[in-house]
Amino acid sequence: METKVETYKIIDVDVHNEQDDRALLPYLEEPWRSRVAASGIGYAGSGYYSPIGVMKKDSIPPGGGKAGSDPDFMIKQLIEGYDVEYAVLTGVVYNISSTHDPDYAAAICSAYNDYLINEWLGKHKAFKGAMVVATQDPLLAAREIDRVGGHPDIVEVMISSAARSPLGQRHYHPIYEAAERNGLPVAIHPGAEGGGSSTAPTAAGYPARYIEWHTCLSQMFMAHLVSMVCEGIFVKFPKLKVVLVEGGVAWLPALMWRLDKNYKALRSTVPWLKKMPSQYIREHCYLSTQPIEEPDHPQHLIDLFNMIDAENILLYSSDYPHWDFDSPHHILRGLKPEARRKIFYENAKQLYRLD
Amino acid sequence: MTVHYVLTEDAIPEGGRAVVEIDGREIGIYRVNGEYHAILNYCPHQGAPICAGPVSGTTLPSEVYSYEYGREGEVVRCPWHGWEFDLRTGESLFSERIRVKKYKVEVHEGKIGIVMREVEEVGQQ
Repeated sequence: METKVETYKIIDVDVHNEQDDRALLPYLEEPWRSRVAASGIGYAGSGYYSPIGVMKKDSIPPGGGKAGSDPDFMIKQLIEGYDVEYAVLTGVVYNISSTHDPDYAAAICSAYNDYLINEWLGKHKAFKGAMVVATQDPLLAAREIDRVGGHPDIVEVMISSAARSPLGQRHYHPIYEAAERNGLPVAIHPGAEGGGSSTAPTAAGYPARYIEWHTCLSQMFMAHLVSMVCEGIFVKFPKLKVVLVEGGVAWLPALMWRLDKNYKALRSTVPWLKKMPSQYIREHCYLSTQPIEEPDHPQHLIDLFNMIDAENILLYSSDYPHWDFDSPHHILRGLKPEARRKIFYENAKQLYRLD
Repeated sequence: MTVHYVLTEDAIPEGGRAVVEIDGREIGIYRVNGEYHAILNYCPHQGAPICAGPVSGTTLPSEVYSYEYGREGEVVRCPWHGWEFDLRTGESLFSERIRVKKYKVEVHEGKIGIVMREVEEVGQQ
């Protein structure tokens, strides 16, 4: 028998709307339009097989089509079903960052952003949008942020953690500069790690199975976060906020301790950092909850949350309609009410400036 | 207060150092730009003999991707874990709360004196 936990308003920061590739055709210019019409978008997949599939099985719309592709069904199942006040629509197009042609990748992102604005964001007051940019050409990405970042329902810029190099490095800076200029957080989401032109999906190389690939996604986030701090992103762009989406949470204390310890010895190599590295993380970064770690002893997770001031840096996410969906009614039940309210609602409301 | 005159000035050339023992404590005396600085030969981190570490300048707080090298001769780096300390203040360069123990130096008639309280504890922080 489950104990009753007080329910709160919910903001879900990772909801995957999907679309048929052909839905982007009206928003594409030539030569890209003919390409997609003839052979689809052509993402570079990670290549890893899961018997479960990516989608939770009850999320296929009754009228058919891909899970997450019918706004009305999403409203019924997620928005109304869980009393979600706002859902940040994150799409799947960030996967384009693992493909090879920077111009094509940028064109797909632009088409998707227009599609998102025209065909989703006006459908329900709960829908807010993560515009997507491709990381292959950061200057094109910055231009796209300036083009659509001012839309009132666009609340962040999404990039993929599947990239060609650590995301703090200097050639990516135009993305962060543009995001800061437009007052938008940058969110990083797992993509097609190991596929196409992205790096190997783990630090050790290519594992054999999806279970290994999925577990090691946290490594990508660790590497990107260390890079972003040490490369001085948060010194150079002091108003920038970064959201680490779906990369795990439990690794953060160890990373902060290790990075701080190394800073004491190696400060002279990053003289632009004026504070402990962990302090920049605390002041600039948020992590989404899903897939939340589930230790045998729930108290262990709460202990760990206490180490990282979790109630001020976590944002609830469901990952709907993907297989590893976290129900807001069933996770983090052991937290104090105030911490739950911040994680499930207040932190996102403040970060995304939602009224 | 007791002043222990331990060396004559000509014993330490500019940029040089000497380690002396006073009442069982090892103390490093550094000559930096004509001034003397004395520190306990004991790193507050894990007790390394800090005076065995190199003295140099370092990169000063700067803008991203710019490097301003300065404080030449004013920074001692622990020989074990590489922590940097400002010889003038004893403070580490990453936190003013972490510091190597400093002693006041008095020079009198060509002799270098270390000023010590009557009771000093080794390795205190």
